[in-house]
Amino acid sequence: MIFLTVGTQFPFDRLVKAVDKAAGTNGFDEHIVAQVGESSYCPKNFEVSPSVEKAVFDRYFSDAESVISHAGMGTITMALEQRKPLLVMPRLKKYGEVVNDHQLAIAKKFEQLGYLLVAYNTEDVQVKMKQLKSFVPQQRKPCPDIVAARIATFLNELSQS
Amino acid sequence: MPDTAKQKQLKICLAASAGGHISQLLKLASCWNGYETFCVTTTEVVRNRLNKLGEVYVVGECNRQHPIRVIAVFIRCLRIVFKERPCVVISTGAAAGCMLCFLSKMIGAKVVWIDSITNVERISLSGRMVRYIADLFLVQWPELADRYKKVEFVGTVV
Repeated sequence: MIFLTVGTQFPFDRLVKAVDKAAGTNGFDEHIVAQVGESSYCPKNFEVSPSVEKAVFDRYFSDAESVISHAGMGTITMALEQRKPLLVMPRLKKYGEVVNDHQLAIAKKFEQLGYLLVAYNTEDVQVKMKQLKSFVPQQRKPCPDIVAARIATFLNELSQS
Repeated sequence: MPDTAKQKQLKICLAASAGGHISQLLKLASCWNGYETFCVTTTEVVRNRLNKLGEVYVVGECNRQHPIRVIAVFIRCLRIVFKERPCVVISTGAAAGCMLCFLSKMIGAKVVWIDSITNVERISLSGRMVRYIADLFLVQWPELADRYKKVEFVGTVV
């Protein structure tokens, strides 16, 4: 199963339409579960829900063989933590999908580091979806404890002063 | 070891927009252990994730494209700051977090900013403003710490 998600805040029909198109091509035989936000677009090749509860979302995510999403950090982090092959299409400023192109920047950077695949436009989606099947993401090792310790030291100094 | 009685006096405001901002902030939960906290976020959807961190305020989403909403969010943040009077603000952004940093600074609070990992090429717009008043400013890309003054890189949150 492929889990398609566009994040909790806004719809992202450009991605949903592109995945729908790819799913409608001959020979495509994978099951897609989709969470698409408050969207008016109705895909022909899979069913969608606007939003799902966190528990349901987590289950879809862990059951999925791979994930397709916008380049939101919430989804990217979750995919990296669970080592799910992830294909992202960044939301772009020029389409009014975000206020700046930070999704494009993080997608490029993480693609370079081997963490995920990127479709830079809707034409890329089909070919990248084929690559996604065999894509093995690099393991990422963040260090939140070190960052938390730095802040804890700062707070401790404050509370002692 | 931190003095528990002194810790209690240090009230901390945890501020982050829904989505990646809040996820990154919550990764740092161990740092405010033992302190009194309250939270400010932007949508109801994430309220449940913050329940254990004291009072939760939801101020609504806003960005530069919606100036009226910016004013509404600003007024809500102002009320929260005067009611809660935090000693420290810890924020990962974005706009609402930035407002809380400035408003709290005006009543004497210390400001801790962790710029989101999505800001790869330069610090976020909110972060670039907060940098002038921040007491601790952390970024998640070492290149950014080299480029800006008063900015530290110690590691990545996600």
